[in-house]
Amino acid sequence: MIIEISHFLSILATGLFLLVGYFSIFVPSSNSSYTSNLIVRTYSHGFFFLLSSFLIYVWLAITDNFSVQYIANHSNTALPIFYKISSIWSAHEGSMFLWIVFLSLWGFLFNIRVKNSEVLKPKTMGVISLILVGFLIFLLATSNPFVTILPIPPLNGADINPVLQDPALAIHPPTLYLGYVGFVIPFACAIAFLIYGDSKINWEALVKTWSVSAWVFLTVGITLGSWWAYYELGWGGYWFWDPVENVALMPWLAATAFIHSLGVSIKSSQLRIWTILLSILVFSLSLFGAFIVRSGIIDSVHAFANDPDRGLYLLGFIGLIIFVSVFLFISRLSIIKSLSRIKKFSKQSYISINNIFFGALIFSVMLGVTYPLIYEFLFDQKISVGAPFYNAIFIPIVFIAAVFLFFSVDSKWSRSINFRPISAPIFFSILLSLTFTLFVMQYFESQNISILASIFAGSLIISRYIYEIINSILNKKFINPFSVLAHMSLGLLIISISFNSLLSSERALSIGINSTELYKDLKISFKDIGMKKNSNYDSIQATFIVEDQSGKTFNLKPEKRRYFTRGQITTETAIHATVLRDIYITIGDQLDDGNWIVNVQINYLIRWIWLSALLMGFAGIILVVSNRVKT
Amino acid sequence: MNLLLRLVVFIVPTTFILLFFFILTNEDVYSGADYNQFQIPEFELKDLDDSMTVNKDSLNGNYVLNVWASWCITCIIEHPYLSNLSKNGIPVIGLNYKDEREDAIIWLKKYGNPYQKILHDYKGNLALDLGVTGAPETFLINDGKVVAHYQGEVNDQIWNDVFLPIIEERKMF
Repeated sequence: MIIEISHFLSILATGLFLLVGYFSIFVPSSNSSYTSNLIVRTYSHGFFFLLSSFLIYVWLAITDNFSVQYIANHSNTALPIFYKISSIWSAHEGSMFLWIVFLSLWGFLFNIRVKNSEVLKPKTMGVISLILVGFLIFLLATSNPFVTILPIPPLNGADINPVLQDPALAIHPPTLYLGYVGFVIPFACAIAFLIYGDSKINWEALVKTWSVSAWVFLTVGITLGSWWAYYELGWGGYWFWDPVENVALMPWLAATAFIHSLGVSIKSSQLRIWTILLSILVFSLSLFGAFIVRSGIIDSVHAFANDPDRGLYLLGFIGLIIFVSVFLFISRLSIIKSLSRIKKFSKQSYISINNIFFGALIFSVMLGVTYPLIYEFLFDQKISVGAPFYNAIFIPIVFIAAVFLFFSVDSKWSRSINFRPISAPIFFSILLSLTFTLFVMQYFESQNISILASIFAGSLIISRYIYEIINSILNKKFINPFSVLAHMSLGLLIISISFNSLLSSERALSIGINSTELYKDLKISFKDIGMKKNSNYDSIQATFIVEDQSGKTFNLKPEKRRYFTRGQITTETAIHATVLRDIYITIGDQLDDGNWIVNVQINYLIRWIWLSALLMGFAGIILVVSNRVKT
Repeated sequence: MNLLLRLVVFIVPTTFILLFFFILTNEDVYSGADYNQFQIPEFELKDLDDSMTVNKDSLNGNYVLNVWASWCITCIIEHPYLSNLSKNGIPVIGLNYKDEREDAIIWLKKYGNPYQKILHDYKGNLALDLGVTGAPETFLINDGKVVAHYQGEVNDQIWNDVFLPIIEERKMF
């Protein structure tokens, strides 16, 4: 019964959003204070209906209402409340619901934060509403989460997939979704700007904070996902170029280019065509991600169940959004004017080059994701594109981009400076980085060009900014703290990834109980192994005592679990994390001679990879907060 | 310049959307499946332990031949299903494809070994003769003859739709 109320509220919200869309886009007087008031209020009502619908749904999940089919299929009375809630986004219908609620939430925040007098506001709200209508129809017609099992509901639910019973996974999808759909704000504003067709309106300034906020969510969401795959899936790495990781990476790359380009457009009204194109690209790629994951077109650990109808609907709707944007862009191209030409070696010139690099990266990832599909379609054969392809493309482009970034630190806004390749800071940084790289080469006896080049590039960025920080303290010279933090984090990220691939190693050992094996500097003693019973799974837990070089010892207890409800077996890794490295142990099968197979990995600097990604996100947060304080 | 930009902006998304449209509406659901019958070619390979030589005649009867490699992510996803088949009494032979011996052994120790026998095809010669294009790929062998072939991850659905009808028709296992 209650589920029908929830169902009805979301249908009602769809109707209201349709009204908002109609009034703001198709009624000529949408900017009169009467109509714009109407638009603002109707949208808020629509949002509250949708939010209430979702909250009722959450409440039904908490109270184990198994007459709702989706809840019966993905939750269970034995689950803690936390996972009962997160079970809502553990499969297609519920996660689509959450995705739409977040989309409307961004619209709502924009609605209450931006003044009604803002020219672009009514049309922006209209674009957001029409997108909401499209996705709500998709939800209600092809993936209805409100379907019930009546008259006799099951006594208990089928349980959430055990690999999803994890705190990181409970917050990773919502964070990522907030990032994806957050780019609806710059997209909708860009479309409103194009509909308006008045080059004097500065739509870019309106969306800066919104875009950076969405970018922060995207960055943090991707990082959380990477961490989850590392310790819960037991893959033992931070990135696998899985198609679904790639469809999250593409909007991130586009968004990063977008917020750089946006900065230029706000500051000096240049690169405006780039900025508009990128805002369309970011949102299209976010939608493309939803399409790839939900159409069943790709085999991946992340993909939801296959249903060609959903795929066709999504493709049609996304296609419509893209065509309308492209049509508007093409027809208004001549009126989007940049105010002046870009001067050589100015900040703007570097950022326009940066856009090209990011474009190249996005195109390569897109190719990597779609090439197997194209090939299969044309030649009826499956192929897979893996890490070697991406490494071959990313390493050189990131290296060149890092060098450009290094030289861009000297540049000034809107002024061409005398480009001096040998000045004190440049000389200082190159010398320091070269020394460091040569030291790494000697000390670790590495000949690997890609790794050494990356270490060099990373240290170039970091040392250049360190010089800049010292200089600003000594001479009271202004530096942009967000830019410094974000770019130093990028340098740290490049260095961490390089050292991780240079130093990390793994080995499968066969160990008997009470015996000791040596691996690298570690002494691994197998203490015991035993069965453990839990409320929803049985497990075999092994205890290892590991002693490192310095004589420190610690216990590691990897497990293998069998979950009752689904009978699924999962591997629980045991990780000992220190500042510089992780010791990562999983147990495999028992051999005929009674020994156990134990997989030991030593992962260097892997925490630093996530730390630098989070620092990048943090730079975005302080940018947003400091903007708030100013206004 | 502007004309070029207009064209690019229009053509690039159109291409992708049309492509996905054709892929989605493609009738052939099991595009990786192939029922052309042919004999297993002659070959001579070492097994994964490097302890014995296996040739065409040492593999007889009915079995499933699975092409895998430690570098293949989809193989990890497919792995539990193969273990399941193996537990249910279906003989699964592994063809380790273009892989380092040590990596493959670590992989098997990490995830478990569903294979009765494993051929180490470092250069991919046998795989080439079989028409393998990547990993994973799975062949159904009936008395030295390939009777079904699937490129990509084998799961419950693929097993039931591609392999099971042929197994039942030929009363194989």
